[in-house]
Amino acid sequence: MKVSFFETVRYLPPQALPPEWPVPAGAYDPEAGARAYRGMIERLAYVEELGFDWVSVSEHHYSPRILSPSPIVSAAFIAAQLRKLTIALLGPIVPHSNPVRVAEELAMLDTMAQGRLVVGLLRGTANEAMTYDLNPREARERTDEGMELILKAWTEPQPFGWQGRHFQYRTVSIWPRPLQQPHPPTFALGTSRESLDFAARHRLGCGVSYGPFEVMGKATRYYREACGRLGWEPKPEQILYRANMLVAGTDDEARALLRAQANQAPFTLRAGVRDAMIALDARNIAGEARAAVVTGALPTTFVGSPDTVVEQVRRCREVVGAGVLDLSLHTPGSAELEPLTRALELFGRKVLPRIREI
Amino acid sequence: MADEGHGEGGGGQRPLLICLQGPGAPRLTPAHDLLAARFRLIVLAPPGASSDTLAAAIARPGPETFDLLATSAGAEAALRLALQEPRRVRALVLEAPTLGDAGLERRLSEVTAPTLVLVGTRDDAAATEAARRVKERVPDCHLVFVYDTGRAIAAERPEAFAEVVSDFLERHEAFVISRARSVIHP
Repeated sequence: MKVSFFETVRYLPPQALPPEWPVPAGAYDPEAGARAYRGMIERLAYVEELGFDWVSVSEHHYSPRILSPSPIVSAAFIAAQLRKLTIALLGPIVPHSNPVRVAEELAMLDTMAQGRLVVGLLRGTANEAMTYDLNPREARERTDEGMELILKAWTEPQPFGWQGRHFQYRTVSIWPRPLQQPHPPTFALGTSRESLDFAARHRLGCGVSYGPFEVMGKATRYYREACGRLGWEPKPEQILYRANMLVAGTDDEARALLRAQANQAPFTLRAGVRDAMIALDARNIAGEARAAVVTGALPTTFVGSPDTVVEQVRRCREVVGAGVLDLSLHTPGSAELEPLTRALELFGRKVLPRIREI
Repeated sequence: MADEGHGEGGGGQRPLLICLQGPGAPRLTPAHDLLAARFRLIVLAPPGASSDTLAAAIARPGPETFDLLATSAGAEAALRLALQEPRRVRALVLEAPTLGDAGLERRLSEVTAPTLVLVGTRDDAAATEAARRVKERVPDCHLVFVYDTGRAIAAERPEAFAEVVSDFLERHEAFVISRARSVIHP
């Protein structure tokens, strides 16, 4: 089992902030922001020392939650300061990006980081469509076309044109190309049938997140079957599961912390916007419809003492088939850093060495 | 469409949009023609009558609901009307609003109508400041800068003005979700 630390760049606001997305930019405190990024590097030095394989960063906008609107900038900054960790850039939101630019920047980053790059490409959470005025009805097809163009830009040796549905270029020929050939290990992130089919077709990994093992297992089973029909079998490290983990000294302590969590969605939209988005944005898990907008807290699927959590990781491997765990170790609902540091230490000393061989 | 006093354009079952022009604002612009394609339009413009007199005329008892589009100093009368007739004013659009009434400003948090505030990027700092104060205080309020216009947004960039106003009046806060198509070739 490979273990990745999901770095969420915790910003501690000097005063309470409104919960709705987008959060007014005027409420941002530049000093608190500077502390958040300094804290990130200090934390990741410890993460590296504890022996994590990867650190993951992600793209979120207009909110203090996960202060990383450009994950490529985060990844480059981390790669320059840490020597051993692989940087998992999970991921650029493809449908609102220029795919050629993404291919160029990731190739630069892979080369500058001496091949320590892993890439996840995705469509993004529903709220992110509003960040750059993306029509949610087009997000899926722009994602598929954009991902395919990124792969083509990485691998095609001749200058080429792209006569797409949503993107058109008369000439593309990127320099540098990635250090890792033909391209860095790449995952299509998401549980939708479209995303899983894309991963199977292009021999990419698949990444699923947060849901219960059985539900995420449905998506990864669909992926493995799709790969099988196309004549190949994904390796365990091509199935990634991102999850919340709440590890504490005892099971009782962990469950008590979980009960104290407020049932608040990570990115809360105004009701009128949320309802309109749900009507426009179709999502599914391996073909079964699911809600486009999360209305409560994200589930925490690993909860308990180190012994309990090790057993849960074993079950996750069996049910989801994941060979990579991408973990958020925050106490759910808390932005405080001290409990995170305690959880990191407990996980690093009592769990990590025991799940390597799972 | 009549070009002064009050004029009516459009017809049928289209929603009613009442435009309350501030003193000195252009009477009718190509933007009003564009809006008249989707709304029954009534444009009320001084001279002679103050915006408040016109607003008082609108406020006479009646069952009909309407959208209200107010320009410059007309914004204060429109906000007062929205406070007074919250069930009749469906939504409010304020083009380059100017504010001078501290009592009214204190009551902005009571405005329940979805509100759109437009301000031109070439307008002065006071215009931006006034627009921002409305955005901060009115609970369901959206601020949009219209690029490369001064105070007379509808006159200077009528298509841009009419598009954002129509979209907001149709969808209210959900207008933040784009419906633009980006397909180049099917």
